[in-house]
Amino acid sequence: MNLLLQGLALGVLTGGLYALLASGLSLYFGVMRVVMVAHPAFLFLAAYLTYTVHTTLGLDPFLALPLTVPLFFALGVAVQRLLIARLAPENMAMMSVLLTFGIALTIEGLLGTFYTGSYKSVSMEYATRSLTIGGVHLPYDKIIAFWVAAITLLVLFAVLIKSRFGQSLRATIQHREAARLVGIQTERVAGYGFGVGLATAAVGGTVLALITPFFPASHWVWIGKLMAIIVVGGLGSVVGAALAAVLLGVVEGLVLVTVDATWATIMFYVFLFLTLLARPQGFFGGRLAHRF
Amino acid sequence: MARVSKGLAIISICALGLTACAKTDEPGAAQSPGQQQGPVKIGISLPLTGDFSEPGKGIQEGYQVWADMVNAKGGLLGRKVELIFRDDASDPNRVSSDYESLITQDKVNLVFGPFSSRLVIPAAKVAESYNMLFVEPAGAAKEVFEQGFKRLFYAAPAIASDHYNYLAEYITKLPADQKPKTAAYASLDDPFAQGTAYGLRDKLAAAGIKTVVDEVYPPETTDFSPIAAKIAAAKPDIVVGGTQFEDSVGLVRALQELKVQPKLAAFSTGPTLPEFPAAVKGAAEHILSPVGWSATATFTGNQEMVKRYKEMFKGEANEDIANGFTVGQIVEAAVNAVKCVDPTKECQDKLADHIRQGTFDTVVGPLSFDDAGRPEQAHMIQQYVNGKIEIVLPENAKTADIVYPKKEW
Repeated sequence: MNLLLQGLALGVLTGGLYALLASGLSLYFGVMRVVMVAHPAFLFLAAYLTYTVHTTLGLDPFLALPLTVPLFFALGVAVQRLLIARLAPENMAMMSVLLTFGIALTIEGLLGTFYTGSYKSVSMEYATRSLTIGGVHLPYDKIIAFWVAAITLLVLFAVLIKSRFGQSLRATIQHREAARLVGIQTERVAGYGFGVGLATAAVGGTVLALITPFFPASHWVWIGKLMAIIVVGGLGSVVGAALAAVLLGVVEGLVLVTVDATWATIMFYVFLFLTLLARPQGFFGGRLAHRF
Repeated sequence: MARVSKGLAIISICALGLTACAKTDEPGAAQSPGQQQGPVKIGISLPLTGDFSEPGKGIQEGYQVWADMVNAKGGLLGRKVELIFRDDASDPNRVSSDYESLITQDKVNLVFGPFSSRLVIPAAKVAESYNMLFVEPAGAAKEVFEQGFKRLFYAAPAIASDHYNYLAEYITKLPADQKPKTAAYASLDDPFAQGTAYGLRDKLAAAGIKTVVDEVYPPETTDFSPIAAKIAAAKPDIVVGGTQFEDSVGLVRALQELKVQPKLAAFSTGPTLPEFPAAVKGAAEHILSPVGWSATATFTGNQEMVKRYKEMFKGEANEDIANGFTVGQIVEAAVNAVKCVDPTKECQDKLADHIRQGTFDTVVGPLSFDDAGRPEQAHMIQQYVNGKIEIVLPENAKTADIVYPKKEW
């Protein structure tokens, strides 16, 4: 019983982290039907930058954020305007996989050149301690990751719902032509949307750096998991992705403590197939998904 | 039917080609060693890019240090050694064609092996088909030795399942009141990593130490807390990880977070890498790990190798470099003993036979091999003692006493 509670608690915390890591992916797909295979590569690029800031300046990893977040936003706008906007709209989903796969390989190669292939890690004092409540241990690094994810997602939702930019972005997601007709500069909005997506990668990368050691090819294991999350959540729905992330995190945690790690990893793909069979638009997605 | 005859035609053409090659090589074989011209060419394909690029480069440097030291002594049978490297980009298809062309186009005298079991098997198949001796620095998985290779030798102290032998012996000989009663195992789903943990598990289980957790996780695993939660619930006396790097760090951190305090903790590979202590902060203290080579050991050629490496590459030697160097030492000893170094079946067979029956002094200690090319020794056991890596087992190689039970992490 205690073990189940422990599994549940760890699952919720890990699910929060997954939500943060997957939110950008959902945004890219929603805004411009881009399947962004390079998102995890950008996460680890952010992790490496955090590592550099932490080791050379001796700062807390989170103090790297004021530097990496704007940088990644600008990078995202540049990638969208200079590369992705030039792809033909008819086969955007397919071509974007190829393009972003190339970007992922480029990032991996550059990280290998500058940081070598050896492992890097950012380990803080609090990274190995935990809070114990009624026999259940809650690791501090996971709690921190959860709250960073929660705050980042809240800010993201607030931007999407309250701000004028958020309204234009949602209009672009819902119906691009109509948005253009009412005077929204959809090209520019799409660029900013991509920038916001990459900005979440900057935050996600910092959190990842705290909880796991990494090397240039670390990003590959994350692509499958994160893609499964956004499909289960409903492509393009940021809220859906967040809910699916917590759901899959909990399922993973519970299966891990009751069965084994191999089945826990398979659960992501089991849910992916079930979603495609039973509800292809995703469990939390709106009508949006029907259109492609 | 048409396909069969086409296949036969291809095979016969290939066979003709081979006999032609063999013919042209024979005059060379007939000459006595001293009269031969030109260097001894050694062909090697290595993963210099891709997944295994770090260890691949280490092995390459080990080969280079060996060649440099041999040439400084006047070469092999009086001829200079020349290494020909190819980059296989960690790709099992590229590694086959690399050895194919090294043997047929470059007409190398000898071949040395690549890095990792995954590349060693296809490479050894090619070498075997040309009757070439194949000593390799990294291919410890048991599958390597189950392919029926007759000229393959693994130039390291032990195959995966024997890595923990000295530790198993130590634990089983502890007095009854100190002896652990329960053990938890967590292993990566990988033939090498699993092999190390299961080797120890089987020996301890046979000695009556109960296995309370036996977990296998896939390489995609990124979160180790739930595995640690299972271990925590079983409260084992000792924890063993069949790990590589990321997972060893992940497990140590997760075990700390879940307040598991075993009397003994052993992890494969991870703790032997220089990045480990920083990645786990203070928790490295008293963690045990099998290790195939030590920079401080005084085995034949070791100190010379460490020194020469520093001069050539301005860094500290590591286990990959030592493994590459060991391949060179064994082949060098065999060539000097049988006095031939030709790519003919005759000479390569003589070399292989010599290696099979002998014991060789190398930088990782004396090595001997069984019929399938498995080394017959065990790995040393290292432990972090006062923040430094010390060899604690076996008795005759130790630099410090083993600390048991370990302090809390």
